[in-house]
Amino acid sequence: MEHPILFISVILEALGMPVPHAAPAFGVFWDSHQIFSPHMTYTFLVIAFLIIMPKLTMGKIEMIPGKGQNFWEAIISGMEGFMAENMGKEGARMMFPMLATFAFYILVANMIGLMPGFMSPTSNLNITLACTLIVFCTTHILGFKFHGLNYYKHFLGPVWWLIPLIAPIEIISHMARILSLSIRLFGNIMAKETLLGILFILAGAYFAPLPILCLGVFVSIVQALVFVLLSILYFSASMEHAH
Amino acid sequence: MMADFSTIGLTMAFSIFIGVGFGYYLDNKVFDGATKPWFTLIFLAFGVAAAFLNLYRVATRKDLKDGH
Repeated sequence: MEHPILFISVILEALGMPVPHAAPAFGVFWDSHQIFSPHMTYTFLVIAFLIIMPKLTMGKIEMIPGKGQNFWEAIISGMEGFMAENMGKEGARMMFPMLATFAFYILVANMIGLMPGFMSPTSNLNITLACTLIVFCTTHILGFKFHGLNYYKHFLGPVWWLIPLIAPIEIISHMARILSLSIRLFGNIMAKETLLGILFILAGAYFAPLPILCLGVFVSIVQALVFVLLSILYFSASMEHAH
Repeated sequence: MMADFSTIGLTMAFSIFIGVGFGYYLDNKVFDGATKPWFTLIFLAFGVAAAFLNLYRVATRKDLKDGH
């Protein structure tokens, strides 16, 4: 398959780094060259962007906020209010750093693929699955933190004779969360990237990708929002009492 | 709200899929085909039940009832 031109990979190859052009062979679990594969390098780019960008725009934090600080304060407090609505003030304060990181990371990672020469790290299933597994583990850690060992009652249903029926159903629905959360994000973003690539090849000179670029902005925002919203719902479900 | 309802379809499909997959694994890998169709069918039923349970939960969520 023809590869798109990804400028970080081009630069790294010019520097003599071993940039892999395919996933490792089946059954190989550790391949250190994969750290130079596009989804990794573009993840590092997004991380660097997210660290440097607020530093540049915000300046010093003051009592009376300036332009940049006002912008970030509006975003952050809006996000915290949104979380507090869904999982209570306490839970929102506790989980805010993680969820806000997910929100910003996924948003920027989705959007970066709209520029030629860049690639969305989230169009690779490994990245979205990693995010999802973090959310999944945190859900159950929160459950044990809030309920102690009684957390297992979440999986058993209301009456004892329903246990053999409810327990497998609950476990299956928890597993389905992993799949649906990761594959939704991956599928949407991969579809956007592939569609853009094909339209660029077919009729790039006639602005054919333009409508899909507009839709891409919309999809990027919606998918980042959906990921965070679903994480909030899962967290709050594991924090509340068993039904 | 759109976000919540966009999960229904995917979760339904994946619940059934995981049920069938796990049953198939039990039948063919753990018991080497001795129990051939039964675990697949039982876990298919569990998967379908999980899908509908999820549907029921979305429909009866507390915060949807008070008119959002």
